[in-house]
Amino acid sequence: MKFIRSIFEPLRIISKRNMVLLMAAEMVLALIAWQLSGGGLIPTPTKVLQALGTIVGSRDFVDNLFASLSLTIKGMVISIVIALLISYLAMIPVFYPIARFVVKCRYLTLTGLIFLFTLWTQNGHQLKISLLIFGIVPFFVTSLLSVFEGINVQEFELCTTLRMNSWKTWLEVVVRGRLDQVFEVMRQNFAIAWLMITSVEGLSMSEGGLGVMLIKANKYVQLENVFGTLVIIFILGVLFDYVLGQMRHWLFPYTQLQTRR
Amino acid sequence: MNTYTKQKVLLKAEDVNLQYGDKQILRDINFSIQDIHREGVAQGQVVSLIGRSGIGKTQLFRILASLIKPTAGVVNIEEDQHPVQAGEMGIVPQHYVLFNHRTIYQNLKIGLDNAAVKLSDAEKQQIIKDYADTFELTEHLKKYPAQLSGGQRQRVSIIQQVLTGNKFILLDEPFSGLDILMVDKVINLLLKVSTLHEQNTLIIVSHDIENAAAISDTIWILSTEEGKPGATIVKEYDLCQMGLAWTPDIRSNPAFVSLIKEVKSKL
Repeated sequence: MKFIRSIFEPLRIISKRNMVLLMAAEMVLALIAWQLSGGGLIPTPTKVLQALGTIVGSRDFVDNLFASLSLTIKGMVISIVIALLISYLAMIPVFYPIARFVVKCRYLTLTGLIFLFTLWTQNGHQLKISLLIFGIVPFFVTSLLSVFEGINVQEFELCTTLRMNSWKTWLEVVVRGRLDQVFEVMRQNFAIAWLMITSVEGLSMSEGGLGVMLIKANKYVQLENVFGTLVIIFILGVLFDYVLGQMRHWLFPYTQLQTRR
Repeated sequence: MNTYTKQKVLLKAEDVNLQYGDKQILRDINFSIQDIHREGVAQGQVVSLIGRSGIGKTQLFRILASLIKPTAGVVNIEEDQHPVQAGEMGIVPQHYVLFNHRTIYQNLKIGLDNAAVKLSDAEKQQIIKDYADTFELTEHLKKYPAQLSGGQRQRVSIIQQVLTGNKFILLDEPFSGLDILMVDKVINLLLKVSTLHEQNTLIIVSHDIENAAAISDTIWILSTEEGKPGATIVKEYDLCQMGLAWTPDIRSNPAFVSLIKEVKSKL
């Protein structure tokens, strides 16, 4: 009874074990609700599970998975490099307007730019990478600038009293001091990249990928396969999120010291 | 009676004014700190700047550290009386800002890394070890700032500034939020730092009159004068001259008690 009361109390911290139990229970409830409400247009979990088995066992699944992963990772790495460069340089006044412009590019729709990017790039792979980068970088830069602009002025003053010049201060406070938050931004944007991958894969289907599998399943109204593919994409996304989260705690142990547990 | 002499001027503020738009914050601030000599002691200087909340103490503090420029006036320091430059005065802010991504050892080392005197890594390690022993921080050297208590963070913050080689250290509300036992520890720490070097000068900005006065050799009162805009130093007390400096158990001294009453009345 006490436990039941505690899970409805705001700001209550429950043990890790109880939280896992709570998650499992809510997941089972959601699956039961899905099973009971399904059967019409939406396939039931059992049908999705069967489709999942078929998809994973299919001949070209590994190739498609590899195509999506490699595209995402390649797009992410290039985006991170570009976004970090723009964001770190934004601390130097002459580069700040460029960073602000990139931030505003969030409001440019990708669909309207596909034609332009098709002209600029030489093949489907380049087109997909370019769109992925263009889609991620503005969000990445927005988050990074928000981190940097939120730095307490006293940290900069501390550097001044420790006789650091402006370059050393920039390196200590903005670069080193915010590496953990940069990693967190990267983790969040990986989710955006993973979300976008299925959209851009449809632009050039010759390389395959999970997005192509989705488009084909949609085309032939194979809803079990659509849901099965979505479950794979979801599970992989959650897995990446977990791995990156663990890596952050391992690389930056101090990040866990000031959070509610 | 403590015998002492006051020699060269170490810090001098001349006609310092600060104005934001039409609002005068500080007006005609003038003071100086002289090097105090006592036989057998490397006696540094401890000055308290007392004033009510919001009077402009922190702004004066930032001017002294050259973090902001005054609208008029100048602050000169050291024996050659050159205008103070940012980085020549250490600051220990009220919330003891440290680099949270660095361990305590690294936080202290960064002070030495930027010191005027260049040292080898082995020398730095030895100095940090010595200071950590003296100020009871040895067991915390591998920890991160978030793992320390407020008092421990304050010690690290002060030593970081000392290791940088700053002889002038400004402390913003060093007794704020500490219990009585911790206040005693901080007082001992400040006295220890002030006697590490002849020219070490601590300027304590506080509204805790009794504790600040108990370790000071000079008190400045920052307040407003009737009919005049902005705050200024309305009174300076030379505790050395009054025989109230460097005295243990000063709090029970009737002259000290009446001094505290008088200071309160001036605020």
